[in-house]
Amino acid sequence: MNIRKLAWKNLFRRKSRAVFTGLGIFLGIGTFVAISSITMRMEGAVRDKLDKFGANILVTPRTEQLSLGFGDISLGGTQVAHARLTGEDERSIRSIALSDRLRMVVPYFLTAADTSGKNLVWMGIRPKDIVESRPWWKVQGAELSAPGEILLGSEAAVALDKGPGGTVESGGKTFRVAGVLQPTGEKEDGMIIAGLDDVRLLAGSPDGVTFFEVAALCKDCPVEGIVAEIGTKLPGAKVSAIRSVVESRKAAVDQFRRLGFGVSAIVLTIGGLMVFVTIMGNVQERTREIGILRAVGFRKRSIRALLFWETGWIALAASVSGGILGSVAAFAGAPLFGAERGRIEVLPILVGTAIGLALGLLGTLPPSRRAAALSPTEAIRSL
Amino acid sequence: MSFITLENVSMTYGSNGTRTTALSGVSLSIGEGEYAVITGESGSGKSTLLCLLGGLQLPTEGRISISGTDLSTFSADNLAGFRGRTIGFVFQAYHLLPYLTARENVMVPMAIDKKSSREKIERAYTLLESVGLSGKEERLPSQLSGGECQRVAIARALVHDPPILLADEPTGNLDSATGDQILDLFSKLHGAGKTILMVTHNRWNIERGTRSVLLRDGRIAEDNPLRPVHRASRPAVPAQAGG
Ligand SMILES: Nc1ncnc2c1ncn2[C@@H]1O[C@H](COP(=O)(O)OP(=O)(O)OP(=O)(O)O)[C@@H](O)[C@H]1O
Ligand SMILES: [Mg+2]
Repeated sequence: MNIRKLAWKNLFRRKSRAVFTGLGIFLGIGTFVAISSITMRMEGAVRDKLDKFGANILVTPRTEQLSLGFGDISLGGTQVAHARLTGEDERSIRSIALSDRLRMVVPYFLTAADTSGKNLVWMGIRPKDIVESRPWWKVQGAELSAPGEILLGSEAAVALDKGPGGTVESGGKTFRVAGVLQPTGEKEDGMIIAGLDDVRLLAGSPDGVTFFEVAALCKDCPVEGIVAEIGTKLPGAKVSAIRSVVESRKAAVDQFRRLGFGVSAIVLTIGGLMVFVTIMGNVQERTREIGILRAVGFRKRSIRALLFWETGWIALAASVSGGILGSVAAFAGAPLFGAERGRIEVLPILVGTAIGLALGLLGTLPPSRRAAALSPTEAIRSL
Repeated sequence: MSFITLENVSMTYGSNGTRTTALSGVSLSIGEGEYAVITGESGSGKSTLLCLLGGLQLPTEGRISISGTDLSTFSADNLAGFRGRTIGFVFQAYHLLPYLTARENVMVPMAIDKKSSREKIERAYTLLESVGLSGKEERLPSQLSGGECQRVAIARALVHDPPILLADEPTGNLDSATGDQILDLFSKLHGAGKTILMVTHNRWNIERGTRSVLLRDGRIAEDNPLRPVHRASRPAVPAQAGG
């Protein structure tokens, strides 16, 4: 028999009270773990979604006069043909130390060319890159599948009065219209999209690249590092992070985290108060028992220790079981919140258990003082 | 030399509006090995006297010392430690913890001791045997009779082998035959050298003591020696007489 065992015995004697005391912590930690696990998973999901959404780094020739935001491109005839970037540069970009963070490196080649009597901009891109770099394109008709095929931007289609299956002439060659893009609101609405090599041929620049779009996987978002590295590899190029993409992504993820913390904080506070109230009631109820213990020689600190052991056991059991429940709930519920697959996150369980224990002990502090201060005589008389 | 000394001790409960003076100006000197039986009407201050002697509370006035040590010089925690070593309490209502077995109840005061649990268990068995409860060690208080519960409480009071036993109407809840057995136990302990102060309502019990103290309205009304005290004397009434 020692104080720890005495506390243990007491718990078993007052099972329902113990359960009730633990309930606050159990629910608090359960919610905390569920929310933080889900937020972690959602953070991942949000991150993945944002990562999938287009590029966050642009590589352009430093000396190029063109402003290459698509929008302001004023491609004056053959002037654009002498792009300073080449297909070789793609290999350089892919050879950076942080290359495992590169989701895509997509070369584009732009040129203006007379097309069935109209002067239009051609955008050359490898058909296989379209899915990754322009996932939002919706094509009416078929995708690009073979050389000699083109897609028309919605406005270009109107200008040329062509649709899927039609043909256009340029540079003495005939191109077949595979499909028409639904309006995107971007400049490609007025462009003709064709295979990279087709457009290079049209401009007589067999290995030319107008710009690269690079997408970095943004786990810890080493965009700056990647930008710097590419800059070193390609001294002649201008490498810039597309700020708005990176920042808005961070903002979205942060917002999520804050929401999770806010809800957890509220739940944990309520849990702590529940512990406080139940233990306080417990002390009142046990006045006599505490008096007896004092009469047989228990010091004040032994009484405090007894109460702390009791809540310690409860808090431990409650936070561990709450943590497990929260994890299971998060695992099952994650898909509802946009995370593709649930996963048991260990960190929230550990943090949750620590917080639960701390809450339990903190909630016991005032009642244990009160218990220790009880006068043993009054305690014994209260029959 | 006197073992327990009260000098001009007063005890007042409550504050201005509801003041109750439970003891006023009590001086008493009890020698080692005495068996003092304290009687008095209800409300005369008997329990208060025992609580003061046991250091469960401090007097509002006066000085209490036990074997030369003034209780008021102790800090609250040291007083608890002193109490644990020096004084065994026995109450009318046994005050056992209902969720612990007889053995565990006896072990409660040892919960704060740094002994091995083996030693503690052996001590509990020895004590329960000495109060005649062999074979009932693992019963809960609810599975024991009143007399048996009081024996457990006495065993618990003896855990640290204290020189002083304070008993507040230990037979108050028991029928007279069972009460006699408990008193036999006290006589036996007295014979073994314990100093005993016992509060009782039953006039017949007075004869067991070496001294009789009558309280009235918080004062000592009578204080009579009944017979001389021999340290570690043979029990005046044979221990097994009632059994
Ligand atoms: N905690 C307390 N607060 C206020 N008054 C108290 C308190 N304890 C005892 N008293 C009062 O002090 C007086 C003495 O009480 P005490 O319990 O010592 O009497 P007693 O002789 O033991 O009586 P009984 O034979 O009924 O047990 C009583 O008038 C009682 O009402
Ligand atoms: Mg009384």
